[in-house]
Amino acid sequence: MNEMIENPTKKPPRREQLDEHTVWHVYARQKYEEPLHEVGNVVADDIELAKVYACSIFDEFSWVEMVLIPRSSIVTVISN
Amino acid sequence: MASTSTRIDHAALFAVLSSLADNKQAVGRRYAFWCNGAPTLEAAVAAAAMTQDELGHARTLYPLLDNFAQAEADLAQVEPETRTLHYHLRFLDQEFQGWTDFVATNFLADIAFTTFLEAAQNSSYEPLRLRSRKMIQEERLHALHAEGWVRRLAEAGGAVRAALLASLTRLWDETLCWFGPDDEPMMNRLASEGILNATPDVLRQRYLDKVMPLLSSLDLELPSTFNATTKHWEPAGSLPWSRWKPESRRLEEPGDGI
Repeated sequence: MNEMIENPTKKPPRREQLDEHTVWHVYARQKYEEPLHEVGNVVADDIELAKVYACSIFDEFSWVEMVLIPRSSIVTVISN
Repeated sequence: MASTSTRIDHAALFAVLSSLADNKQAVGRRYAFWCNGAPTLEAAVAAAAMTQDELGHARTLYPLLDNFAQAEADLAQVEPETRTLHYHLRFLDQEFQGWTDFVATNFLADIAFTTFLEAAQNSSYEPLRLRSRKMIQEERLHALHAEGWVRRLAEAGGAVRAALLASLTRLWDETLCWFGPDDEPMMNRLASEGILNATPDVLRQRYLDKVMPLLSSLDLELPSTFNATTKHWEPAGSLPWSRWKPESRRLEEPGDGI
């Protein structure tokens, strides 16, 4: 049986305490005349860490702009 | 390779650059181990990027050593591949015991070296001035990573927070000592010649002013006090100078061989 169910007051193991939950969509562009486009996403609960991760992971081009958008702020308009 | 006639005779600068290069090399090697062992995939990629940066910094610093007359004593010591002296922090002798050691090094040691580089941004020694600016630029991301993880581990509480505090405590004294005693001839000579814009006590104070606000805000208790008169952070108590060796810029234990 799951250890947490057996003892709900027990803290989760260290590894689980460090799990991140906030998803950030990463948008970037290489030239000012082109629009921002999605290049991927990162998961981090700390916004500063999210910035570091985005720079580290999506460093294949010399971007002129990169922005992060939290997935939770996305409003679905059409969903078939 | 520089010729004898073109080499600069400057023991103080040679010694400090040797230690800086060794520390960058050692930090890079320790970070490398965590490129596939960090708590999250994103952190692992960041560790890989920082590894590249640190080893890159070492590779730009080691060639400078060949420009000094002091290199002639043993030319093998100016090449990282043949160097047998290791003037890095004692803390970096061993593999990190856990992710908290990585974060402590990222936060305390890396920011200490950056504090030194910032003091060399307008250095009278051009090769260091030019390299400092590039390295400082790359270190901005490292500092954000360090601060983010210190916050994260401290706020996790329990055993995670305790492990972070233990790692920070183990590195604390030696990092503060790395700048040298207030009256250390080598670092004071660098300051008087405009190679650095600060003496060891000022560098230490600048360093504490960088790291202590975050540590204090998280109630992570490390031996430093805020002086309300000077508006600066200061070391609390004395540092273990009797164990600190100026040549290697590290704390030594009896029987240590470098």
